Amino acid sequence: MPADIETKQIEDSVAKNNNEVAVGSDLEFQRRWWRFEHILWLALTALVILDALGFFGRGWFAKAEAKTPDGSMRIEYERIERFGAPSLLTIHFGQNAVRNGGIQLWASDSLLHELGSQRLIPQADRSALDGHGILYTWVAAPQPDSVQFSMQPAKVGSAWLTLRVPGADQMRLKIAIFP
Amino acid sequence: MGGVWRGVFGYLFLVLMVRVAGRRPGKQITPFEFVFVFFAGGLTLTSMVGDDRSLLNAVGLIASIALTHFLMVWARQHWPVFGRIADGTPLVLLEKGRWRPDTMRRMRLQHDDVMAAARDKGLERLDQIAYAFLERNGEISIIPAED
Repeated sequence: MPADIETKQIEDSVAKNNNEVAVGSDLEFQRRWWRFEHILWLALTALVILDALGFFGRGWFAKAEAKTPDGSMRIEYERIERFGAPSLLTIHFGQNAVRNGGIQLWASDSLLHELGSQRLIPQADRSALDGHGILYTWVAAPQPDSVQFSMQPAKVGSAWLTLRVPGADQMRLKIAIFP
Repeated sequence: MGGVWRGVFGYLFLVLMVRVAGRRPGKQITPFEFVFVFFAGGLTLTSMVGDDRSLLNAVGLIASIALTHFLMVWARQHWPVFGRIADGTPLVLLEKGRWRPDTMRRMRLQHDDVMAAARDKGLERLDQIAYAFLERNGEISIIPAED
């Protein structure tokens, strides 16, 4: 004897169209959905335009340049970075950055932790931990006119990056890192 | 941990995009819609996986997507409103010799699409159709007119 199988009487549970065909159509809901779709298409269009302009990184708006008041550094960077996406930060040194025949650059540790610095070109002759940052030193002639950090941001949020040539003005940059 | 959330987000975002981009899968899908489906899927995959090619990442992602899918199906079964949001509702395209032009236009369908479904049923002319419905899965179902 097989176990009892639960059954239930069918009901008129699917709405009929024209009182003939059980379709379950809900045109009122669909009209609300079309309004939502319309808003979503506008939002997507705005998203694409903002993205193309670089408001989410890697474009015209994201590129930035900063210069210390004393002219010791000019920095080209991206004010908006993307998590895990490679980018470059270039520092051009002024004449007054050269001290005692060499160049030194102090960078806050956010360069490593938040911004995920991967490589420095040209490599420094010396690098040492110094407070909450790293002190890079180039002593061999010729000293570089500019150095480039290759980065790959490792955290989402915002990062404050401080750069300084010892004895000169410092530069503090706020960089947003989008997911 | 991040991979799990990326998987959930990627799944839900793709569901939303496919839902709004048009309800024409299955028989009604056209070559350029294939391009959209595969392109979107491939691009989502790239950001989901990132540079973590580990087996654990893949297992975590697949499990999170499966769980999200299960929760969506469960919610759809228990809350009819959620079902309508996720799947939409069947729509009348043609009723007793009269088109529903607003529905056709908003669903980006043409008369040819309905006629193609009618031919599948062995019908030769539009006047042989009593009702044409756009189903939730994107297919067009036809109820022939009685002679």
